[in-house]
Amino acid sequence: MNNQIKKKLIEICGIENVNDGQEVLEKYSKDQSLVDPIKPLLVVFPENTDQVQDIIKLANQNNISIIPISSPNKYRFHGDTVPKSDNTIIMNLSKMNKILRIDKKNRVIMVEPGVTFGELIDVAGKNGLRLLNPLFPRKSKSVLSSALEREPPIVPRFQWDSSDPLLCTEVIFGTGDYFRTGIAAGPGTIEEQIESGQAQKNPMGPTQFSPYRLIQGAQGCFGVVTWATIKCEYLYDTEKLMFSQSDNFEDFFDFMRYLIKYRTADEVFIVNKVNLAALLGTDISNLSNLKDWILITNFTGMGQFGEDRISYILADINDVINDYNIKLTETLGNIDNSKIFEIIHETCEESWRLKYKGGFQDIFYLTTLDNTVLHYNLVSKMTDLELGVYIQPINQGCGVHCEFDLYYNPADTNEGSIKKSFLEISKKLMDIGAFFNRPYGLWADEMYARVSNETISALRRVKEIFDPNNIMNRGALCFKEE
Amino acid sequence: MKIDKKILNEIQDIVGKENATDNEVILESYTYNWCVEFINVMEGKDPIPFWHKPIAVVLPSTTEEVQKFVKLCNKYHLKFKAQSTGLGPWNQPSEDDVIVVDLRRMNKIVKIDPKNMYCVVEPYVTGAQLQAELLKYGLNCHMPGAGPQVSPLASSTSMCGPGFTSSSTGFSGRNVLGTEWVLPTGEILRLGSLSLKENSDWFHGDGPGPSLRGIMRGFIGTKSGLGIFTRVAIKLFPFPCNIKQLEIKNIIPNYDFDIPNYMQFHLISCKNYETLELAFDRIEKEGITFMCFHTSTYGLHTIFSNTQEELMNRAVASPRIKNPLVVLITANTKREFEYKEKVLKTAIEELKVKDVVATGKYIPPNIAYAEALRSALGMHGFLATGAFQSTHGSMDTSRLCRVLMERNLPLKKEYIDKGLIGNDEGKGNWSTSYEHGHFYHIETPTMYDQTKVESVEGFVEYLDRCNKLDLVEHLGIPFFIEGDKMHDWYGPQCSNYHIWLRKIKTKFDPNFVADSGFYISPEKEENKTT
Amino acid sequence: MPFEDYEDTIKKCLRCSLCKWIPQIQIKSQKYASICPSIDYYNYHTYSGGGKIILALSIYLNRLEPSEDLADIVYKCSTCGGCAISCKYLNKLEPLEIIYELRELLVEKGIGPMPKQKLYAEYAMEKHNPYNEPPEQRMDWVSEDIKISKNAKIAYFVGCTSSYRRKEIAKATAKILNKAGVEFQLLGSDEWCCGSPLLRTGMKKEALELMNHNLDLIESLGIEEVVFSCAGCYSTFKAHYPRYRKYNFKVTHTSELFNRLIDEGKLKLKENLKIKVTYHDPCHLGRDSEPYPEWNGKMVEVMPLISIPVPPKPLRRGTNGTYEPPRNVLKKIPGIDFVEMERIKEYSYCCGAGGGVKAQYPDFALFAAKNRIDEAESTGAESLISACPFCATNLKDAIDDSGSKLKFYDLSELLLKSLEDKEE
Ligand SMILES: Cc1cc2nc3c(=O)[nH]c(=O)nc-3n(C[C@H](O)[C@H](O)[C@H](O)COP(=O)(O)OP(=O)(O)OC[C@H]3O[C@@H](n4cnc5c(N)ncnc54)[C@H](O)[C@@H]3O)c2cc1C
Repeated sequence: MNNQIKKKLIEICGIENVNDGQEVLEKYSKDQSLVDPIKPLLVVFPENTDQVQDIIKLANQNNISIIPISSPNKYRFHGDTVPKSDNTIIMNLSKMNKILRIDKKNRVIMVEPGVTFGELIDVAGKNGLRLLNPLFPRKSKSVLSSALEREPPIVPRFQWDSSDPLLCTEVIFGTGDYFRTGIAAGPGTIEEQIESGQAQKNPMGPTQFSPYRLIQGAQGCFGVVTWATIKCEYLYDTEKLMFSQSDNFEDFFDFMRYLIKYRTADEVFIVNKVNLAALLGTDISNLSNLKDWILITNFTGMGQFGEDRISYILADINDVINDYNIKLTETLGNIDNSKIFEIIHETCEESWRLKYKGGFQDIFYLTTLDNTVLHYNLVSKMTDLELGVYIQPINQGCGVHCEFDLYYNPADTNEGSIKKSFLEISKKLMDIGAFFNRPYGLWADEMYARVSNETISALRRVKEIFDPNNIMNRGALCFKEE
Repeated sequence: MKIDKKILNEIQDIVGKENATDNEVILESYTYNWCVEFINVMEGKDPIPFWHKPIAVVLPSTTEEVQKFVKLCNKYHLKFKAQSTGLGPWNQPSEDDVIVVDLRRMNKIVKIDPKNMYCVVEPYVTGAQLQAELLKYGLNCHMPGAGPQVSPLASSTSMCGPGFTSSSTGFSGRNVLGTEWVLPTGEILRLGSLSLKENSDWFHGDGPGPSLRGIMRGFIGTKSGLGIFTRVAIKLFPFPCNIKQLEIKNIIPNYDFDIPNYMQFHLISCKNYETLELAFDRIEKEGITFMCFHTSTYGLHTIFSNTQEELMNRAVASPRIKNPLVVLITANTKREFEYKEKVLKTAIEELKVKDVVATGKYIPPNIAYAEALRSALGMHGFLATGAFQSTHGSMDTSRLCRVLMERNLPLKKEYIDKGLIGNDEGKGNWSTSYEHGHFYHIETPTMYDQTKVESVEGFVEYLDRCNKLDLVEHLGIPFFIEGDKMHDWYGPQCSNYHIWLRKIKTKFDPNFVADSGFYISPEKEENKTT
Repeated sequence: MPFEDYEDTIKKCLRCSLCKWIPQIQIKSQKYASICPSIDYYNYHTYSGGGKIILALSIYLNRLEPSEDLADIVYKCSTCGGCAISCKYLNKLEPLEIIYELRELLVEKGIGPMPKQKLYAEYAMEKHNPYNEPPEQRMDWVSEDIKISKNAKIAYFVGCTSSYRRKEIAKATAKILNKAGVEFQLLGSDEWCCGSPLLRTGMKKEALELMNHNLDLIESLGIEEVVFSCAGCYSTFKAHYPRYRKYNFKVTHTSELFNRLIDEGKLKLKENLKIKVTYHDPCHLGRDSEPYPEWNGKMVEVMPLISIPVPPKPLRRGTNGTYEPPRNVLKKIPGIDFVEMERIKEYSYCCGAGGGVKAQYPDFALFAAKNRIDEAESTGAESLISACPFCATNLKDAIDDSGSKLKFYDLSELLLKSLEDKEE
């Protein structure tokens, strides 16, 4: 069986693109998360959409599960791409790494899955565009899968819909059928659409459904995306950082809401000192002159009146700042602002979370700003590990991404106890309403146990449509074999 | 057809006797709607504004009542058609044996959450009602162009969703958060953070995992073809200026309004569609507008007139404004206003276009500012003829809008020359920016006389030609591609989407109880006919 | 054929529902956004102004026959005309006129009016008042301290309701006129019902008989000005009679007269009162007192498919209703703190009594009035003032029924209080 599959895959993708070396399989059997390892049958590296389609058809014929991944294995953290059954092949899309189009006029970029933040932030910038990137992404992180997984962008004012920045996609469904979502569906080929002035921007549709929303957040369970258009913004010409510090992060809330309501701030988020240290790649002891909580916000302007924008906003803020009882500063202790610009605009070589202590587990979910206080009080009591906190408003202020990072040195920590504490905290948070909208790995069962039966049943019906043989990332989310 | 009295009694047991009826007179009034005459013509019938008569009308007041009713429909294999505020042919039963669910009694504003910038509404809360309450918090909601009298829930969950303020308030379908939805099976589906069994909340609409918003509405909404939405959380926006209430002075039709501080209309005349495209892109670049849309010169006069006489006066007395771009700048502070005005002024200079308001040649009436704030400009479209409907309707880039307008011009003129549709020189278009220029949509409102057979037939033929044009010239999928016939025509040219849409319908409405005249019928139906 | 006059417009209802609400830009809260008591109470679209236009079109196209079911719907409407005001904010349909036409048709077919309405119409024809009271007792409210001037040029048309049911209004009115030295006469038992309740329930023929009697009488007496304390009589004389018969005396509502008398210094107001009040615009004094504009132009096709009326056709939009005089009176009374409700003037919410509703559908009438009382209370006012005896009856019923602490006064009663010496 295995050999036959391998032979067929070699026919599809070429010998250089199929790998079942033991060492490789070992590598793909686990990630940095705490899920139990299972080895895949092999790893395949398709180079184009046709190959992806052929692989999926093959998998259907042979009842094999496929896990699509877009980033190098070393930095996968959440257990979502670890095989959940024996009969699994990994489809590594990192060789599909072309930037297919950069369209400044329409503020959109079309990329294949293997295009990384490291490359694209740079290329976009050179073309006068800026990405809606997550906080200090890893250089090798796939832009497409970050959007596909709804990672929170750090500029809430530009996130008009929780699906941003993902726009149109080309996808091979679990059935092996080819599809283009949004306005890209047609009429016409992409070339013909461009000819008539389109740029594959409108993500909605075709007509009365929006399949891009189904494949987003699906951890590959419905199909494989072979390109996507990514919503960008014009690059700013000038910017201004502002900071606030406090012993109590609740103090920032009203001011943050003011910034978000009037769409004045670009980047706006809260970190605690631990996570600031991790982001800066320094030890927390070097930040002893800072208070425990830091609000980072950045204002931008473009064009002839870019500076004027920033000054009017700051002057307006100055008029009301007393109502908010916080102090704003232009710098943060003795940290050079260039360091802060780096974490909000650039990429890190190695995951900043991983680098900090060598090991981490991150617990993240969505909630509302006020709830984070309760959540923090709870989590801080549940662990002795160094605890990083990151609170990121999303979707123009409707909710926040809340993240607790448990840092540890793998050398002197018992993995079992970490796993226990990770799960306990996660479950406790779920119990009080934390909404794990991206239920990876160990969270999936716990989260879906707390979700209404109607929702699960509806998701399964959708799954039956787009992946009737359950070959895509089998066992993930709520699609366990019954 | 008549409803079985026994079944009617069962429905009345659910909603109360007075809230379900098969009274012929009441049914008759649910047979009529705007634009139905052209749908009749499309079906080879007379151009009358009456379509299929429902067999009953039901007025539920709670989600549970809706659920029980839908389950009953499954039990007896009865079809339903839901409506909120009920404007437009897509509210009408498309067959003879359908029950209309009029959601008028579900009219609560469930929640306004100013901290998290959203509200939760039931179907029969209107835009104006909602906005009036939101104003108390300095907040605003997006409203569709149809106006403040229609339902934000219907627009968000089930209809299209462009609006006059789209440049700053987006598109209805993109502002959806937690949603409560009675599926055609009678299950109550709750989306996103609302799906939690305990501690559920409204602030988010996706997940966990894949977002079921993906089957909920797409671009133009399922029009009750996939169940009934009972409550929805909608993302809110800041109210664009610093007032707590719209204070209107004088008596109809001489209403007057003190223009709030920091609010200014600009009417930009663009010599051709190319300039219009450039102006759209340039002006939206810095994200300064509250409104930013294009309408024809004639459309402009209508928006700024409250009586036919005023309209005629404007049409005669106004300077020639070519391809107008309407920009409304608003601000909460003086500094903000000055910045935005400065940016706009410079953009106008760069573009070498004219702002006829700045030159003093055209003065929008004060009341237009109030109507703009209330999103009440759309209904002005009926001032002149009483009837119009749009053709086309795709949404992507400013270039697409331009290309479509250029290609549609000769086609529209052909029908104008034949005297079949109103003469707008072929330029009656409406195009607006969304999310400060991230998207633009284009539709071409067309006037016709619904009392004249030739005119209605002419409009139908023109509509069909427009649909063909979009298909052949790859101009996106128009608004009116809904219902089996249209989907089966367009689908094969558009990634075969109709096959998937039909599968969704089949899975979620196994007994085919949700009327699908404006959606798609399930697979088994298709098999029957082929 | 009925509806012919409206053929152009009944085919053009958009079903936009604007007729259900006060003009959109006037909406200040969710609670007080509606204009139509009928749709508020009965909910089916059929009950709205637009719903009735659809029914008219169905009849016009022979899809629907007049029937008892139809009558039951068409009569569940207080003919307040709010729908017509909101519709004509931008459009030009005439839902109120269509409702009148439907009622006339139903009467013509022997189906309308409804039983209670039929009864009061019979009384009105027989006893000249719809209450079945003896005509000779019409003047019973006149007490000794009221001075009547037999041949005065001004006549006070008391109206049936104030004559028999709300005598306090008639008394207060007469006393104020006395205090101001205005000489007036009464028509006594020769004063017949103005016909309003008949006119609004489709019994035009009978109503016109009453009209002719009243006009003949007034003209025969050489009266120059007729004063009304009843909004219904006033609008019937001012707006409706001239459609059928012109006359050449002046008609004045007491609110207008009082306002004038205060300005002329003929009424000396004392600071007797310290209350916060709000004011309910009676439909008949407000939007319905606007005369029907005349238009003798024609439709001209200015371009294919677009016809416009030449000269421009004035629309009856409620622009010229009587709104300011009662407000001015209130504002001039010392010690009164006057606050507005949300729905006022041309888009005031009806008390629910008119159009034959109070008699035939008392539950509906009470529902509407309670809605209005709720709105009045929300202003923080202690007293609700109006200027129509029929509104007075219905609003008082609602106050009693809902246990509200609001006090109701007719404008004349309040004014009288401020004219009297404290101990009076
Ligand atoms: C002048 C004018 C301008 C217009 N401009 C625009 C515009 O700019 N943008 C735009 O989007 N549209 C526009 N339209 C079309 C119009 O918006 C729609 O008619 C309007 O939104 C009607 O909506 P409604 O809110 O009354 O909803 P409804 O008419 O009640 O519903 C709309 C559709 O959704 C379905 N539906 C309603 N409620 C539910 C529910 N609870 N569950 C399931 N299904 C439901 C109905 O069956 C119907 O098919 C315009 C119309 C006019 C007359």
